[in-house]
Amino acid sequence: MNEPSDTHEAESADEGGGLDPREAATIIEQTKTQARRQFALQSPLVAVLGAAVFLFGYGAVWWSMRDQHPYTGPAGWAIAVLYALVIVVSVVSSRVLRRATTGVSGRARRQRQAQGAALAAAYVGAYVFMGALRYLGVSYGIVYGVYAPTAPLIVVCAAGAAIAASREDWPGLGLGIAVIAVAAGSAYTGPVGAWGYTGLGCCLVLLGYAAGLVVWLRRP
Amino acid sequence: MTDDALDPLIHAPARLRILVTLAALNYADTLSFTRLQDMIELTPGNLITHLRKLEDAGYISSEKTGKGVASQTSVALTNRGRAALEAYTRALRDLLSGL
Repeated sequence: MNEPSDTHEAESADEGGGLDPREAATIIEQTKTQARRQFALQSPLVAVLGAAVFLFGYGAVWWSMRDQHPYTGPAGWAIAVLYALVIVVSVVSSRVLRRATTGVSGRARRQRQAQGAALAAAYVGAYVFMGALRYLGVSYGIVYGVYAPTAPLIVVCAAGAAIAASREDWPGLGLGIAVIAVAAGSAYTGPVGAWGYTGLGCCLVLLGYAAGLVVWLRRP
Repeated sequence: MTDDALDPLIHAPARLRILVTLAALNYADTLSFTRLQDMIELTPGNLITHLRKLEDAGYISSEKTGKGVASQTSVALTNRGRAALEAYTRALRDLLSGL
């Protein structure tokens, strides 16, 4: 084990000679809660930021198309807003993930890498498929107005829900199922509505998830 | 039941916090010395003293990886340590329910 210069410092009075059992129980509860929160990959902050992406990002896209007849697609500024918000959330998410996993090695790291690869494959696959639809002549409105805001969410959240279930992460499982339901239902509203209803619905789902996560992470 | 039923090695604030923290990891995962020190908020020397006692009892295992300044020590709860912590927790619960 490492040998810093203060190895021989006097031991503290931390030998438990007078540790009250009630205090020991409190230490166990507090330490367990603290460790769970520090090791948790889920973050209420990231969930709230995600809700903002859906509300303002998807909302901007919907806003730029709301009076289009016929459908011509979102404005460039709206796409820029959406991507800027996605980048911000991605940066924050990566920092949260790094903080939670710093110093932790072993099976969990290998599992995370495998799960990340599965989610990335699902995400990429969904967009490659979108390209195939357009290539095969499916209308612009269906591909970019209905498929784009909904199908990648459904695919990635299905994979995410399965991963959450395997980890007994019940809030994560609920989140995945709820987003799938919102996205699938929103597709029925057409090229403009799909962006609007998916954005609003997923915003509300993520806010609920953030609130549930706060309670879940503080459970005894 | 009295305090004597509680494992004296575990029944100390710092060591109890160390074991509970390590128990929060997934099975077969290890935690670096540096991260553990940040979470437990002990000085390095103090933490090493407690880790040695726990390792001597077989409650934790440690592994050193890397060389020189890049070397890093990681610790993990052993099966024996997990069982001892569970037994301690049960004994503590029984003691408190009898108070």
